[in-house]
Amino acid sequence: MSERRTLDVSGLPPYDISSHSPLFWGQALMCVIEGSLFCMLIATYFYLRLSVDVWPGPGIHLPNLTYSSWALVPLIASCGGAYLADEAAKKNDRAGMLLGSGLNLGLAAIFLVLRAIEWNTFTFTWASDTYGSIVWAILFLHSYDIIADLLVTAVLMVIVASGRYGPRQLLGVHVDSVLWYFLVGIWILLYGVLYWAPRLIGGPR
Amino acid sequence: MTTAPPETQGYADLAVLRKTWSSKPRFLGWLSSINHQEIGRRYVITAFIFLLIGGVEALLMRLQLAKPENTFLSAGRYNQIFTLHGTTMMFLFAVPVMEGMGIYLVPLMVGTRNVAFPRLNAFGYWMYLAGGVFLYACALFNMIPDAGWFAYPPLSGPQFSTGKGVDAWAQMITFTEISAMCVAVELIVTILKMRAPGMSLNRMPMFCWSMLVQSFMIIFAMPAVMIASTVFLLNDRTIGTHFVNPAEGGDPLLYQHAFWFFGHPEVYIIFLPALGMVSSILETHTRRQIFGYPALVLSLVGNGFIAFGLWVHHMFATGLPQIGEAYFTAASMMIAITSGVQIFCWLATLWSGRLKATAAVHFVFGFLFIFVMGGMTGVMLASIPLDLQAHDTYFVVAHFHYVLIGGALFPLFGAFHYWFPKFSGRLMDERMAKLSFWILFVGFNLTFFPMHWLGMIGMTRRVYTYIPGLGWDHANLAATIGACVILIGGLIFIINALRSIGSGARAGNDPWEASTLEWEADSPPAPYNFPNLPVVTSRTPLWTPPAERPIVVGLREDRREILVTEVLDAQPHHRSVQPRPTLWPMLTALGFAIGLAGSIFYFSSYYVASVLGMIGLIGWFWPERPLEVEG
Repeated sequence: MSERRTLDVSGLPPYDISSHSPLFWGQALMCVIEGSLFCMLIATYFYLRLSVDVWPGPGIHLPNLTYSSWALVPLIASCGGAYLADEAAKKNDRAGMLLGSGLNLGLAAIFLVLRAIEWNTFTFTWASDTYGSIVWAILFLHSYDIIADLLVTAVLMVIVASGRYGPRQLLGVHVDSVLWYFLVGIWILLYGVLYWAPRLIGGPR
Repeated sequence: MTTAPPETQGYADLAVLRKTWSSKPRFLGWLSSINHQEIGRRYVITAFIFLLIGGVEALLMRLQLAKPENTFLSAGRYNQIFTLHGTTMMFLFAVPVMEGMGIYLVPLMVGTRNVAFPRLNAFGYWMYLAGGVFLYACALFNMIPDAGWFAYPPLSGPQFSTGKGVDAWAQMITFTEISAMCVAVELIVTILKMRAPGMSLNRMPMFCWSMLVQSFMIIFAMPAVMIASTVFLLNDRTIGTHFVNPAEGGDPLLYQHAFWFFGHPEVYIIFLPALGMVSSILETHTRRQIFGYPALVLSLVGNGFIAFGLWVHHMFATGLPQIGEAYFTAASMMIAITSGVQIFCWLATLWSGRLKATAAVHFVFGFLFIFVMGGMTGVMLASIPLDLQAHDTYFVVAHFHYVLIGGALFPLFGAFHYWFPKFSGRLMDERMAKLSFWILFVGFNLTFFPMHWLGMIGMTRRVYTYIPGLGWDHANLAATIGACVILIGGLIFIINALRSIGSGARAGNDPWEASTLEWEADSPPAPYNFPNLPVVTSRTPLWTPPAERPIVVGLREDRREILVTEVLDAQPHHRSVQPRPTLWPMLTALGFAIGLAGSIFYFSSYYVASVLGMIGLIGWFWPERPLEVEG
C-alpha cells in the first residue's frame, strides 16, 4: 500500500443533538409521510363533500365546536412541555427533560379526555354515511398517532428517570419533540377542515 | 490534512473492525442481522423468487390463451392468476428488487459503512417478506384475490367480491408499502447525510441520484395507495364505511384517483433506479464520464415531479371533464422530454466513448430498443381519442410490458451481471450471459409485439378465452411461444448465476475498471465496507490516482462509528454511533404481521398489532448494554 494522505476526524464531536443528526432527518421524513397521508385524507374530505348536496347528511349534526376548540388550549400548551424537554436534552439536563416530558404528557392527556368527551356527543358513526366515514378516518388516524407518540414519550421518560441513558436517548427526546410539534401542527389544520370548513363554506350547493 | 505512514495509526485495524461490524453467528445471528449487504441480498433473492412465481403465473395465462376456447384454466381461476401475477410483479418483485439493489449499493457508492437506520432496514425486509408470505398463504387457503392488481370497486367491493381474497390483497399492500417507506427514509438519509467527505451533490453517482429521487417519490406516492387499499377498500369491506360505495354517496372514482396517484408514480419508482443502473453501466463500459451529468440529474428530478401529474391518463375512459383530461395529456407527453434527454445523453456517451460490449451492455442496448418502443406507444396512449379506442385492450398490455420489462427488467438484468462480481466475488460467464440476453430479447418481442396488433384489432384485456375466427389465433399462439422462449432465457440466466457463484472466475475488487467507490471495496465487501472511509475529490473517484485521494482516519473501530456529513458539500460534521444487531426489528415485524393478518377477519386485530408492535419498538429502542461510552 502506498502512502495516502489522511483526513483526521477524531476531533469531531461523537454525537450531535440537532437538526444535523441522521435521526432528526429520519423523523422529519416520517412526518412528511404522515403529512402526505393527512393531505390525502383532506382531499378525500372535500372530494366527498362535492359529490353530495347536503353535508353532513340529514339527521347528522356537525361535531361540537366547544370541546374541540377548548381542547386546543392544552394541546398547544403541551408543545411548551415538548420544547422544554427538547432544550433540556441538548444540555443533558435530566430534571429538565423529566419536567418537560411530564408537562407534555399531562397536557396531552387533558386534550385526549376532552376529545373522548366530544366523541360521545357525535350523532354519527363511520358506517352512517360518507361524512361519518371520512371524519372518523381522520380522527382515528390522528388519535392513533397521538397515542403512539405519547407512549414513546412515556417510555423515554422512564428511561431518563432510570438514569441509564446515553446520547442516543437524548437524541430520542429531541426527535420525539419534533414529532409532537408535527402532530399538533397538523391537528390545527385538520381542526380547521373538520370544524370550520363545513360551517364557513359548507352551505347547500 | 497530514500524511500517515502505513504502519502507524493511519490505517485501520481490520481485525477489530471486523469484530465490531460482523453480524452474530448462527441462525439467531442471521435473524438479527442489520448489515446492509445481507439485507440487500435478501431483498434481491426474495424478489427474484417472487419474479419466478409471477413468471409461472404469466406462463399459465399464456398457455390458456394459446388457442381459442381453451379449457386449461377456468374463468375464475384465470381471474385469480392475472390478479396474482400483476400484484406479485408490482408489489413483491419490481419495487423490492430495486430497493434491494439500493440497500446493497448505496452505502458502498457513497462511501460509508451501513445505511443510516440499520434496524429500520431489517424491519423493512421482514415486513416485505411477511407481506409476500401472507398473500400466498391466503392463496393456499383459497382466499385468492381476483379483481385485478388495481382492484377497482365496485367489482372489488363487498357486494361483488365475496370471500377474503380482496381483503388479503388490500392488507398485503400495507405490508409492502410500510417496507418501501422504511427503505425510502433510510436511503434518503444515507444519501444526504452520510456521503464520504468531498462527495458534494454534484459528484454523486447517477445511481444514487436515481435512488434519491425514487425514495422521495415513494414518500409522496405510497401513502395514497394505503389510503386507497386500506382506508377506502378494506374499511368498506370489513367495517361498513362508505368511501367507495355509490349506494351511500361514496364514489368508486375516488378510489381510482387515490390508486393512480400512487400507481403512476409507482411505475417511475420501478423505472428510475433502472435509469441509474444504465448510467453506471455505460459510464464504466465506455471509459468516459457520463455525458451531460447535470442534464441527466435534472431529467431524473423532472421525471419525479411530472410523474405526479399523470395519473388521470389511466382514467381517460371514466368520463372525467375533458378540460381536465387535456391537462393530463400534456403532462403525459412531457415525460417524453425528460426521458428523451436521458436517451440522448446515453447515446452521446456511447458515441464518444470506447465501448466494451459485455453482457451488461447487451442488456442496456436491449433496454434502449425496447424502452424507446414502449415510450412511443406511451405517447400514443397519452392522446385521449387513441386511448379511448385502445383502453383495456392488449395494446395497453403490450405498452406497459414494453416500458416495465424494457425499462426496468432489462437494465436490472444488466445491473445484475455488472454488480454480480461485487455481490459474489466472481464473474458471471459472459458467453452464457449473452446467450440468455439474446433468448430473452427475442422471446420478449415475440411475446409482446403481437399484443400491439391484438389490441388494435379489438382483443380486450383479462379475457380468459376467445372464439375462433376473430383473427386472433396466430398472434396469441406466437405470444405463447414467446413466453416459453422467455422461460428458457430465464432458466439460462438462473443456471449461469448459480454456476458462477460456485465456480465463476475470481473477479478481484474492480474487474471492469469502474469509476465509483463500491469497486474499491473487497468483492464481496467486508462487513465494514471500507477499512478507512474514502475521501472523494472528483465525480469519478476511482479514475483519480489513489495518491490524490485521501482517506479518513480517527473513527473509532471498537464501536459502530460512522461519519455524518453536510447535505450539500459533504463536509464532515460529526461522528455518530450505530446500534448493534438485535432480534427486535424481526420481532416487531412479526407482531405487526400477526395483527395485520388478523385484521382481515377482525378489526380488533389492529389493537393486537398495535400492542405487539409497541412492545417490539420498546425493545428495539431500549438503551443497549453496555451503554456507549462518551469520547
